[in-house]
Amino acid sequence: MIYQLLVPAAVPGVEEIRVLEWHGEPGTAFAPGDLIVELETHKAVVEARAGQAGILRDIKAAPGDWCQIGTPLALFSDSADEAMPDGAVVSRDLVIEFDVI
Amino acid sequence: MTPNALDMLRAMARIRAFETALSERKDHGFQLLSSGEEAVAVGLASALTERDQLLTGGRSIGPAIARGVDPRAVMAELLGKTAGVNGGRAGRGHLSDPASGFFGAHAVVGGNISIAAGVALAKQMDGDGGIVAILFGDGACGAGALHETLNIAAKWKLPLLFVCNNNQWSVSTSREDALAPARLSDLGKTFGLPSRTIDGLDVEAVAAALGEAAQSVRRGEGPAFVECISIRLRSHSTTARETRKRDELAELRTRCPIRRQIARLGLDDDAVEALERDAADFAAAALAFAEASPYPSAAEVLTDVG
Amino acid sequence: MLDSAVVATKKMFFREAIAKAVREEMALNDRIMVMGQDVGSFGGSYREFDGLFGEFGAERVRDMPVAENASIGIGAGAAAAGYRPLVTITYMDFLMLGFDPLINYAAKLRYKTAGGLTAPLVVKTTAGAQGQGVAHSQCIEAWLMSVPGLTVVAPSTPADAYGLMKTALRADGPVVYIDHKRLFPAPGEVPVLESLVPFGLAAVRRAGTDVTITAHSFMVRMALEAAETLESEGISCEVIDLRSLAPLDMPAIAQSVARTGALVTLEEGQLTSGVGAEVAARLFETTGHRRWARVGALPAPVSSNPVLEAACVPDARRVAEAVHKLLAR
Repeated sequence: MIYQLLVPAAVPGVEEIRVLEWHGEPGTAFAPGDLIVELETHKAVVEARAGQAGILRDIKAAPGDWCQIGTPLALFSDSADEAMPDGAVVSRDLVIEFDVI
Repeated sequence: MTPNALDMLRAMARIRAFETALSERKDHGFQLLSSGEEAVAVGLASALTERDQLLTGGRSIGPAIARGVDPRAVMAELLGKTAGVNGGRAGRGHLSDPASGFFGAHAVVGGNISIAAGVALAKQMDGDGGIVAILFGDGACGAGALHETLNIAAKWKLPLLFVCNNNQWSVSTSREDALAPARLSDLGKTFGLPSRTIDGLDVEAVAAALGEAAQSVRRGEGPAFVECISIRLRSHSTTARETRKRDELAELRTRCPIRRQIARLGLDDDAVEALERDAADFAAAALAFAEASPYPSAAEVLTDVG
Repeated sequence: MLDSAVVATKKMFFREAIAKAVREEMALNDRIMVMGQDVGSFGGSYREFDGLFGEFGAERVRDMPVAENASIGIGAGAAAAGYRPLVTITYMDFLMLGFDPLINYAAKLRYKTAGGLTAPLVVKTTAGAQGQGVAHSQCIEAWLMSVPGLTVVAPSTPADAYGLMKTALRADGPVVYIDHKRLFPAPGEVPVLESLVPFGLAAVRRAGTDVTITAHSFMVRMALEAAETLESEGISCEVIDLRSLAPLDMPAIAQSVARTGALVTLEEGQLTSGVGAEVAARLFETTGHRRWARVGALPAPVSSNPVLEAACVPDARRVAEAVHKLLAR
């Protein structure tokens, strides 16, 4: 199964965030609770943590990139050798937890 | 006799004569006079140097003259004339002459205290060795601005000398009725400042106490607080009615700081007459200068607004 | 007068635009200092001074106790004595605590000293409703517009936050610089190279032909939102961002209304003696009366209750309704 990591609506009123730092690269395996990415809002840093196990496959926004709330940041899969979809394929959303600090 | 005791007496007599001449002039405007408080102004001025700045509340005439602002330009300012130290537009409430070390008056009670702390901050950052003195009345001791500023000045060790001229009256409200502290210098003590209450009618005592306090401020030890207890021989302002009884005022006049200094120095009648003549000449010259100066034209109303 | 996009820009948060302006000006002029609650290592309530404490040190970036009156007073005094303090007041409601040094002292200093002294002081504060209640939500800029000697600016974009802050830090007299809680979340393009926005110059944010909408600060976004909706109904709105409230750019407003023939003034604060009343009165003094509607807060305090807050302050829907009603007259 392929999952997409979406920019969470972590802070009310925020329409857009900036990617601060990735804590992995394509191929990195995440267990529930692992920190995946830090996102910057006007006031805070949002830490997005894995809410399920998964392998990071593709990063769609580099540090410094601006992303609207709800847009995809990365793709994940259950196993490392799972074939990646071509083009726009409806995938599930990755379950995440986030902390606003 | 201390070296400048006679000079200080002369300075007090000049202030008294100056303010009397002003009050006797027709159309003298809204003035706050300082009869009975001259020793505070003169003693304070003696503690300051050329590098220092003095700020006051609205009872500014005596302190400005004591500090050395040109009395002719002060009189012109008080009467709204263009030769005034601020072109006649500031008046008693706001006159200023930083070049003479008189950074200015601000007639909102308590309002100049934080301003003075800002000037002191600038001096601290400039590191020019100068200090700032802020003179305020007992009325300002009930104002939040004093307490906010005491706190910050203490924390930052600002070169700021707090001088409370406690003339014991806020218009018609007595200091006892208005203020809780036993001594107003306790306010300084609360914030850890060296604080004293002294007799504000004894010009030599004022000069000594403020000289000492100014020195500790100058040494970088942070602000100090001195309460000078004085008397107000006239009503609050030239337009306010007197609320005290005649015998009470008569008793106060026996404590006049000028009479006291004359007695202490043992001046004979000739010396007293010379003193009075000097003061009268001083006031007359200032008044003549001011009278000769024109009022500003109405067209000036919009100049230097912003 | 639409902003031309010829200068190189970088997208940044509103707070970063403020920090960029302050950082640049502090590097240029060592008399500039920042004073306010939580501006030090915390970097400001909205992180709008992020990094400055580390770069410029505790002498030039000073944390203040909760003492708004003395903070503005000390700023004004230091300004009069040769420094250029930027004093921050967390919310505009608390500015009232510092009105004496700001209005009675700083704004009058140049006048009362016949030009001898000035107070180059910037007071930065944050206005606007965002769930924080009756004494943390107010927009009282109209009060300040009536003070001779005071400059009042209220940017709506990060670029203007940057350009107006730079101008404010170089101004001779006191400036009140007003940002808005709801502007902080939105990023925007900001000139990379130094650029100043002069006082007294409005910006046309959207060109239109049927009605002129004037607004400032966060309400510019509401005006633009309303204009978008109205365009789909065939109504063309010109949106003018006042940017500077004192002085006001009356020529820009007059030129626009001369073309559209109708004016809607929009503000988040109270209508009585408000910004819109002033804009309209000054315009009509020279042009004679024009069709005019004003939109602002209802005459009530702004509650922290979300239903009451939303009912009190204007939104795009109310702006659109006002335009409809005005054009139907």
